[in-house]
Amino acid sequence: MSTWASIYLIARRDFTERITSRAFQLSTGVTLLFVVGMLLLPTIFGDDDLAEWSIGVVGETPVGLTVAVDSASGGTASSSVTKLDSRSDAEDALEAGDVDIAIDTEGAVVVDDDTDDLLTTAVVNALASISIAERADELDIEVTEIADLFTGGYEVESVTGEEDEDSDENRIFAFFATVILFMSIVTYGSWILIGVIEEKTNRVVEVVLGTVRPHQLLAGKVLGIGVLGVAQVIVIGAIAVAVLLLQDAFEVPAAAGSVLAWALLWYILGFAFYAVAYAAAGSLVSRQEEAQNAAFPLTMMLMGAYFIASFSISGENTVLRLASLFPMFAPMTMPMRIAGGDALPWEIAVSLALMIISTYALIRFAGRVYAGGVLQSGGRIKWKEAFRTSDV
Amino acid sequence: MLEVRELRKSYGDVTALDGCTFDVRRGQLLGFLGPNGSGKTTTMRSVFSLVKPDAGDVRWDGSTIEAQERLRFGYMPEQRGLYPRMKVAAQLSYFGRLHGMEKAVAIAAAEEWLERFDLADRAESRLEELSHGNQQRVQLAAALIHDPDLLILDEPFSGLDPIGVESMISILVERAAQGAAVVFSSHQLDLVEDLCEDVVIIAAGKVVLDGPIRELRSRSPHRYLDIELATRRDNLDASFADFEVVESAEGRLRLRVGNDTDLEPVVRRAAELGRISQFSYTPPNLSEVFREVVGQ
Repeated sequence: MSTWASIYLIARRDFTERITSRAFQLSTGVTLLFVVGMLLLPTIFGDDDLAEWSIGVVGETPVGLTVAVDSASGGTASSSVTKLDSRSDAEDALEAGDVDIAIDTEGAVVVDDDTDDLLTTAVVNALASISIAERADELDIEVTEIADLFTGGYEVESVTGEEDEDSDENRIFAFFATVILFMSIVTYGSWILIGVIEEKTNRVVEVVLGTVRPHQLLAGKVLGIGVLGVAQVIVIGAIAVAVLLLQDAFEVPAAAGSVLAWALLWYILGFAFYAVAYAAAGSLVSRQEEAQNAAFPLTMMLMGAYFIASFSISGENTVLRLASLFPMFAPMTMPMRIAGGDALPWEIAVSLALMIISTYALIRFAGRVYAGGVLQSGGRIKWKEAFRTSDV
Repeated sequence: MLEVRELRKSYGDVTALDGCTFDVRRGQLLGFLGPNGSGKTTTMRSVFSLVKPDAGDVRWDGSTIEAQERLRFGYMPEQRGLYPRMKVAAQLSYFGRLHGMEKAVAIAAAEEWLERFDLADRAESRLEELSHGNQQRVQLAAALIHDPDLLILDEPFSGLDPIGVESMISILVERAAQGAAVVFSSHQLDLVEDLCEDVVIIAAGKVVLDGPIRELRSRSPHRYLDIELATRRDNLDASFADFEVVESAEGRLRLRVGNDTDLEPVVRRAAELGRISQFSYTPPNLSEVFREVVGQ
């Protein structure tokens, strides 16, 4: 029986046992409902949020006024027109609150203290664009040509060439991936932590380790729970994106392809690294109550990586640059540097290599700690002690 | 054949194994005895590489034990444990597959064992839903599912009711009869004496006795003399003050003597005290041999 066959069997057990458990199905369902609900909220309740503007007009209503005002409001308002007979009627209506603003087509926009500044700006801009269109029409200029009139014909070109326009957007996109990685590790890391301790508290581990090696058991566990976790993220993520696309509320960034590919690679590496680390932490304790204590250093590292990433959304800095080379921080920081176009090829290569080597080393190390920790019952074991007393 | 050779292991200042050596043949049912902390569990764990000895080695059929060999071993640790929420049949076939069985074969074997333990109707139950006794049966089945060539059981009788003990005995005897090497540890020495021909007794990490029980008993430098008088008589022991009195009650006496004791004067002295209704001269039983060698 090969190592991989054993790992596969162990992974499959952990995967099936969890996916068929009612607790898992329930939590996935609840999460899905929550995510979809949050995303649907703007559509369901969205219209109620529009400000309602009543515009009084003295004289002939300019063509397309309400449409122009609504669009000048940036889609935050819906306006309606009330016909008024005279300027004094308009002032009365304003005072009485029947209208929010009034237009005297003789050439005045009448407001009072209650008038929203945004409304004033929107109306003035709307009237301006309507009269520009009318004048252009008189001069026989096509509406589409108007924009050309105001184009300078010059563009800014940077000689450094690195900073492209999309880098900020890509960095934000990469940070978004970091947030998802962070949340996955926090959630599924604790599953792994609990899963490892479970085997010890059930005492089944001695039977299992009579047949397979500790690092195989750990690798299988991390793989089984990890694949399940990633699958859950993908399903929930795919449904969320589908909901957003159906509502036309989401725009895919131009460079999404490569940023996404990098983010995915780092997601997998980062998840594997932390999953193994959580498994190692779990092997040090023999009771569920001690689980969070054992995982504390990992949680700190994770938080640190997250904060470095979140403070660096605006761009490159020395801390980010350094952090992106170390395996515990790299998965959260390197994708942002790559997305922003800041990472040098050698930095990416070194960081990747360290990541892979350290994950493998961690599996072996955790396996030893596990073997050393498993057969000692009671209390929490120190890393060093477990490693020293380990035999396998 | 399992060969345990010169195993040494210490944990800091504590010596767990101090040159432990013995063999288990195929078809042999061996009782592995010793007081608590004498190194029984450490020895058993060494066979499964759960413990790596500081020196010495364990061999199976002449070769070092690797992953491949271990697939043919079955282990029931003292601390029992399976997956509580996993279904019984799935659990058994999982352990079968971990030991390298094909999926279909493992499923069939799981069914067979559940059938044998009258648990066929519980195949789809979670382990935690079973009674304690039935959980113990599943535990044994998990160690046997792959028909191991070597079966090692740490205190298999502890926590079993008399019916459970009976069924455990029949399975161990059966496995040995089918050619497996079977080793088990136990503190129930009367049971071991009934069940096994051979024992290994270990104390302070070293084998102090090893061989057929009959031989070990007769090799003892001591014998036990039991005398019973038909007439009731107090203070019998006072008349035998020059002997080692193990037990004394009204008209009954148990003496421990050397195996070269001349019986005639003893019989005569007893006869002077009253009519002898019973007299026996026997080697120590396994319990007594055990106590003699481990000094308890």
